[in-house]
Amino acid sequence: MENTISEFGKVFIFLALGVVLVVGGFITSRLLRPFRPNTEKMTTYECGEEPVGSSWVQFNIRFYVIALIFIIFDVEILFLFPWATIYKQLGTFALVEALIFIGILLVGLAYAWVKGDLEWVRPNPNVPQLPTKKFEKMPARPEASLLSLVESITPASASESSLPKV
Amino acid sequence: MNSLAYQIIFYLFAAIIVGSAALVVISKNIIHSAFGLLFTFFGVAAIYVYLNADFIAVTQIVVYVGGILVLLLFGVMLTNKITQADLKTETLNPVPGLLITLSVLAMLLYTFYFRAKWVTVPVDQQLRGTVVEPIGIATMTTYVLPFEIVSIVLMVALLGAAYIARADRKVQTKEGK
Amino acid sequence: MLNDLLLTLPITIATVWVLVLILCEAFVHNANLTRWLTAIGFAGIIASIFLIPSPEGYAYGTMLRTGTFTNFSNFIFAVSGLLVVSISDKYLEEEEINFGEYYIILFISTIGMMLMGSAANLSVIFIGLETMSVALYTLAGMLRKDVRSNEAAMKYFLLGSFATGFFLYGIALIYGATGELALPRIAASLQTNGVSTLFWIGLSLLMIGFLFKVSAVPFHQWTPDVYEGSPTTAAAFMSTGSKAAAFSSLIIVLSNISIALPNNAVLQTAFAYIAVATMAVGNITALTQDNLKRMLAYSSIAHAGYMLVGIAAGSNEGYSGVLYYALIYTLMNVGAFGVIAVLERHRTLTNASDYAGLFKQHPLLAGLMAVFMFSLAGLPPFGGFVGKYKVFAAAVEADLTWLAIVGVLASVVSVYYYLRVVIFMFMRDPEPAPQANANATGSFALVAIAVIVFLMGIFPTEVLKLADNAMKVALK
Repeated sequence: MENTISEFGKVFIFLALGVVLVVGGFITSRLLRPFRPNTEKMTTYECGEEPVGSSWVQFNIRFYVIALIFIIFDVEILFLFPWATIYKQLGTFALVEALIFIGILLVGLAYAWVKGDLEWVRPNPNVPQLPTKKFEKMPARPEASLLSLVESITPASASESSLPKV
Repeated sequence: MNSLAYQIIFYLFAAIIVGSAALVVISKNIIHSAFGLLFTFFGVAAIYVYLNADFIAVTQIVVYVGGILVLLLFGVMLTNKITQADLKTETLNPVPGLLITLSVLAMLLYTFYFRAKWVTVPVDQQLRGTVVEPIGIATMTTYVLPFEIVSIVLMVALLGAAYIARADRKVQTKEGK
Repeated sequence: MLNDLLLTLPITIATVWVLVLILCEAFVHNANLTRWLTAIGFAGIIASIFLIPSPEGYAYGTMLRTGTFTNFSNFIFAVSGLLVVSISDKYLEEEEINFGEYYIILFISTIGMMLMGSAANLSVIFIGLETMSVALYTLAGMLRKDVRSNEAAMKYFLLGSFATGFFLYGIALIYGATGELALPRIAASLQTNGVSTLFWIGLSLLMIGFLFKVSAVPFHQWTPDVYEGSPTTAAAFMSTGSKAAAFSSLIIVLSNISIALPNNAVLQTAFAYIAVATMAVGNITALTQDNLKRMLAYSSIAHAGYMLVGIAAGSNEGYSGVLYYALIYTLMNVGAFGVIAVLERHRTLTNASDYAGLFKQHPLLAGLMAVFMFSLAGLPPFGGFVGKYKVFAAAVEADLTWLAIVGVLASVVSVYYYLRVVIFMFMRDPEPAPQANANATGSFALVAIAVIVFLMGIFPTEVLKLADNAMKVALK
């Protein structure tokens, strides 16, 4: 008992130190800094951009499903945590039990996967495209058309000698 | 000295729990409420440490602080412009509600202080050190059935949540997909 | 371990089958196939109960009870599930929620019920309750685009979680008072250490959890909104299966603990008053309902009251009466909801006045509905009468004659609102008739239910014997 408390005591010391450093930093800077605000200074810093609107934007619902799946496996890990500490003592039986436990959840995960719940929403950008109809007759390689033009006005023998094969 | 320091820290955490829980209830900004809950969860984890329930304390931090709270914030972020909605709901039946709550509280406190006959374990049989291993052995021996069923509970939660939160899709009729 | 899996064969089958169902739904993605597989799963459970009935004893240490009581309660849950599956498909197609998930979640819910009905340890009861409830919350919200279904799911979830909180707190206090979670050992600890106030408070908190699930007064307010908002077929399942599960679990707890309680009268009086309040509120409020789903919701509150009469009697007779009642109530209520589901169109045509002249348009449906209504009202010669007779007789035997009289009066009141539907169907002029939306399996299921309800009224002895036997051995 004494032992664990002191282990958690160390955690507490870290926590306390962290709080003291952060809060202390804030207090010292408040004491030392000058305070001369203007509108420009008070805007949210956003890498030099002008911030637009509220930072509170609506998230995609997909985040929610992902977070839920995370929690479910979070809980699963916690159930396996005590199992992991005694796995050596109990051997095969414990292994089988844990495999069943994980297996059932894996079926759930497989379901969510196959049903597309884990798929990320891909951006579907609306790329502006030129109306293609006008240029449809234009060949893909302009130099080829040039070549056929040349061919049509020069005799075949001349074209063979003067122009390189394309 | 040592026990005095323990007590001071205990009351510190108790104050954090009560204060942050009050913030959760009182604050009108839902984000502030959510962050207040963070401190409540942490404080409760500390109380678990005081009860020598280290596994529960870790569970509290991993599941509640690391999971539930994240989900809660996600839930807040999923809703758009909730600041403009009037969150305050009407309190219905304040008098009977308060009366019942207080009487239940009084009953519980009275029982705990004056009438409780808690079954206690003799000092020499009490657990020393970490409780993770005893919990592991218990889940693998006596409580192996509930342990396995928990996976079913988690799975149905996953199934239901995925179904409810899924984007719309085509309905299947007799003719096929 | 393998032996335990065999002893609790219905649960084992269900657990394995759920995995098959999910994989099938994921990779084949055919709701109709999933439906058939679910029905096969339920049929398999029922078959396993009849072919390999489990012997008396315990499984998984002292986690689960096996034996006649468990067989009987598992049978109720599986029957409830099978019937609901068979009346569901047309309705789901109509409401555009014909997804395999519906059937899978229904099936998982049944696992929770079976755990509750065979638990011998409070931790198993709790986990069974959670499995069942989480599944039911989802079922209530299956109509995702419908605001009222969302409301139903939300309400059920919030209030249900709150009640579960009470339940868990009760378990914690009972553990604190006795140091045990296994019910037989709790009783043993009470006998050696005496019953403390702490234990009483724990027990009453536990009871709040159960009473919420069976929608007894004063924990009943969620029932009408949830049943009305949920998909009709899901409401049929909630009102029957989950209620039967809560009652069987309640019987297990009480029959284990009551041996050790020196003063049983306290428990008896408390249940008697709750039963009276539940019957009164359920029946009187049902009188004013025009929406049939709400009417059936209040009627289900009233029926919980009748079953609580059996619980209040606190004897083997009373408990076996509750078991019988749970079975017959499952049949007739699924039937009544099934008829509603056949006629309903996107939440319209659920009022009693919509059924005017139904007999002329759909004589079979009207006849079926009449059978279910008569049986719910407890008129002989239908099964509902035998169930009521059984619990009221148990109350008289337990020196609670006044309670039995109240129960009879309450059922007299209930005749009014059940017969009102029948009068609309048979004696009013037909409106533009609602189109029946049934297929062969659904109609066959409804007819079969009606026939069984009728038979259980005329020849009740066989089933009654089973129910009696279930209790006798369970209590020893």
